[in-house]
Amino acid sequence: MDKIFSRRVLGVLAVLAFMLLFVPGLFAPEHLADGASFEPWLGFGSEGAPLGTDRSGHPLHRYAMQGAAVVAGPSLIAGLVVMAFGVMGGLLACAGWPRLEAAVQGLGELIGALPRMVVILVVALLLPKDARSLTPIALTWALLSAPGAMDEAASVAGRLGGTRFVEALRAHGFSGFRIYLVHVVGMNLRPVLVRQGVDTLVQVVFLEIGLSYLAVQDSEPSFTHGDSTRSWADLLYMGYGYFLEVPSGHALVLGLGLVGIVALFGVLVNRAARAR
Amino acid sequence: MKRWWIRPLVRLFAALALPLAVPGVITMFIWALPGDPASIICPPQICSGTAALAAKWGLDQGPWHFYSQWVASALQGDFGSSWRMQPGFPVAELLADSVPRTAALVALAFIPLLLGAIGSATRIIPKQVDVVLSAVGLTPAVVLSLLAAAWVTLTYGAMAYDPEAMRVKLLLGALVLGLADAALSGAVVGVRGITESERTQRYVQMAILRGEGELSNALPNILPALAGQMRARLLGLLSGAVIVEVIIRIDGLGDLIWQGTLTQDFAVVLAAAFGFALLSSLMLVLQALVEVGVALHVRKSPRVMA
Repeated sequence: MDKIFSRRVLGVLAVLAFMLLFVPGLFAPEHLADGASFEPWLGFGSEGAPLGTDRSGHPLHRYAMQGAAVVAGPSLIAGLVVMAFGVMGGLLACAGWPRLEAAVQGLGELIGALPRMVVILVVALLLPKDARSLTPIALTWALLSAPGAMDEAASVAGRLGGTRFVEALRAHGFSGFRIYLVHVVGMNLRPVLVRQGVDTLVQVVFLEIGLSYLAVQDSEPSFTHGDSTRSWADLLYMGYGYFLEVPSGHALVLGLGLVGIVALFGVLVNRAARAR
Repeated sequence: MKRWWIRPLVRLFAALALPLAVPGVITMFIWALPGDPASIICPPQICSGTAALAAKWGLDQGPWHFYSQWVASALQGDFGSSWRMQPGFPVAELLADSVPRTAALVALAFIPLLLGAIGSATRIIPKQVDVVLSAVGLTPAVVLSLLAAAWVTLTYGAMAYDPEAMRVKLLLGALVLGLADAALSGAVVGVRGITESERTQRYVQMAILRGEGELSNALPNILPALAGQMRARLLGLLSGAVIVEVIIRIDGLGDLIWQGTLTQDFAVVLAAAFGFALLSSLMLVLQALVEVGVALHVRKSPRVMA
């Protein structure tokens, strides 16, 4: 099984899933109503609206593209921030600064003691209405995830031998760059860092969907994007109508499909990072 | 090992600091926003009596005055009145209504997690099940909540707020919370990882040779880690409760903080965040007590068989 699904195959699949999810965001229309208007509630495969339309005749693929544009940048940034914190945690464990390590652990304990969603809502509350965007929320989520990533990276570095591992490599005459960045980070922390980064990316996408869904359910503007932009949550909300006999099954399938691809992307990257 | 008490002591300090720090940080940020807080809530251009409202809400004498007054009142159970959500309505009553529902929701959701943890520690749940649980756990709470809400609407229709429907919503919410976002799979896989790695330790294998129980020997050593993991799971459930409560329409603490956020009702958000901080503190205290109990237990002299 591992031989078949080697790192390369999994990596290619992950890249495909990533492109399918986020590249359409680069071509997202600024306004949903731009261009031709179609019949309401067209299904899959309709001409000009391959993924169907909403009740006003807007093509659903524009929802998908705008949703991708909302989540792509902030979720990537959040993933990279968590990876950076993970690198710091791992390097701290190898550097032999126990006091700093203890201080970071204590701070992490305090930051991690609160339910994340509560902190996110407080941040959303404090965001000025004209500055609503997913980026500050994603960064907050990344900061809240950072202690866990640092902890895990530190424990991997600890299992590696920590400062003893660094001393052993120094004895071989390796440079600091090669020891810390190539051996510690590149060869040993990589799977943990990739997993933490991708987990955070996926969590931020789901967080956006969650927050936007809550807002759209209450007919309120979302905290994560402007009023002219639609999120993938709009597809799910539209699709929810299918249970109430609204002909929006195609929106539900599309919304759930996007959620599924995001989850699949997370699984593929995790497995690719672990595969040998 | 000699200073075993440091970690639980730090947790106890954190438990004390958290309910004070949370309103402190929120107050700090309210004042850090551009414009004074009363004008944000009631802009003078569209709202008359901003100064009177500022005086009424204690916003006119700076952040420290507001914070100290708020904490002093909160410690006596008075959280002031709602500013915008239900203007003038006591926030304490909103909290009293919502906290029991959230507590019930989280407690119900925690039951499968606890059973799953016990099942994986005792190997009653086989490892093969992990794949299925992990696949289910990939589903985000928003999707499962949506399905649960649809089922409630189709089943109960206009009666969705009847006591029976509310009980069903609570059970469904707990099920969603327990399954989504890798809650159950995380508990099962996490506990399995800890217990299985401890089982490979030499002292456990020696215990087996002596005819003693595997888990009874390993448990004191892994209990602090298990307690930490269970606290993290409970925090995850509290966090997820916000989404589940709003989508399934359960009037709990999560729904309250969401409505407070939507209406920019700082009084409600402060109180709800304080409530969440108290729950988090309680969990920290419980974890510290487990750590103290385990430390005292392992330091007892072993009984020598005659």
